[in-house]
Amino acid sequence: MMKMIALWVVLVASAGAAFAQTGSGSAAPSGAAAGSGGAPAAGSGGAPAAGSGGAPAAGEPQVPPTSPLAAPILSTADARKLCATAMNADPKFAAEISRIADERAAQQRDRDTVAAHTDADYHVKKNERHVIYAYAAMWIISALFVMFLWRRQQVLKLEIANLRRDLEAAANDSSAAKERA
Amino acid sequence: MKKLAVPLFATLAAIGLAASVYVVFFVAPLEYSFNEAGKFNGSSLFLNQKIMYFHVGHAFWLILAVVVSGAGSLMFLRTRDPKWDDLASSSTDVAVVFGAVVLVTGSIWAKAAWDVWWQWEPRLTLSLLLWLVLVGYVLVRRFAGASGDRIASGMAIFGMISLPFLYKMVGQDSHPAAGGNGVVATLPPGERGPFWLTVASFLCWYIALVISRVQSTRAEREVRELRERGLDLGVLQ
Repeated sequence: MMKMIALWVVLVASAGAAFAQTGSGSAAPSGAAAGSGGAPAAGSGGAPAAGSGGAPAAGEPQVPPTSPLAAPILSTADARKLCATAMNADPKFAAEISRIADERAAQQRDRDTVAAHTDADYHVKKNERHVIYAYAAMWIISALFVMFLWRRQQVLKLEIANLRRDLEAAANDSSAAKERA
Repeated sequence: MKKLAVPLFATLAAIGLAASVYVVFFVAPLEYSFNEAGKFNGSSLFLNQKIMYFHVGHAFWLILAVVVSGAGSLMFLRTRDPKWDDLASSSTDVAVVFGAVVLVTGSIWAKAAWDVWWQWEPRLTLSLLLWLVLVGYVLVRRFAGASGDRIASGMAIFGMISLPFLYKMVGQDSHPAAGGNGVVATLPPGERGPFWLTVASFLCWYIALVISRVQSTRAEREVRELRERGLDLGVLQ
């Protein structure tokens, strides 16, 4: 039993030490660290990220810290000045910054173009319905009038033919009656 | 020649309208513009501007139809020659149809462009009133009896007199302007050809409809005369 407890303590202690070394030891149980007989907790207490804490060597560009917590609060003008100094000091860094800026501007232009086309597409599609309604209304009204005209003319033609036939028949009857008389 | 007039103009109108639909939708450019910021201008009409070709085309010949109707009525009242009455009555019938198309397509276009079906503005209201006068003409001709032709002639003249007011009010409200600074005068080059082709096609259509209606009106007169003869002879009761 004692052996098992000792094995468990050793395992936990080694796990705690491993967490502490990888910089994520803040999540490790504190009891484990304490139980391990003073496993190093350095690096787990909010130390600056690697590469951001030390002073830059002479001639090296000053790279702004990446962690917002550790970054000193700079005004925009100071940040611009710092960046300009860094770009002047290192042409490669300046070229890289320019390349990234150009790339982002091109991406923004692409996004604007796509947005403009999407907007146009939306407008065109939105109006499609009304154009169809208007053209349909126009053709329907015209077609109804043409149908009315055509039907009316057919009825009139038939009526004229019937009336003429009746009148001719009446005229023939009257002339026959006169002849008989 | 008279018998060929309707088929001739109807064929011309059919060919012209088929060509118009093609050029309006596949040749004429979409109407849009950009503002200073490079964004789409809020007044861009896009596809709904295609309604303009047929809306304005009908409006042009609606005005002609009302003028023909008014002038024909004036001549009829002066000479009492029924041929003028036939012309006026036929032209008014076509004007009612063209007016209905103008009002309906205009209302749909207003919904697309301004997001309202109708606005009680002077020009739109006067357009509606003119159309109602034309409808009134048709109803008077149909139901007013023997003196209906003279009463209707007075209405047609009244409709013709209202046209200058209608023209004057174009552009005084939200409706686009007419005349020198109007939509038609300032059409971009790519839209002029399709527009005038459409207008010419509708002129042929108007002529075909009026001639056909005149023939129909004459046939109605012939029926009336034959009936009167039949009644005189005692053939009809």
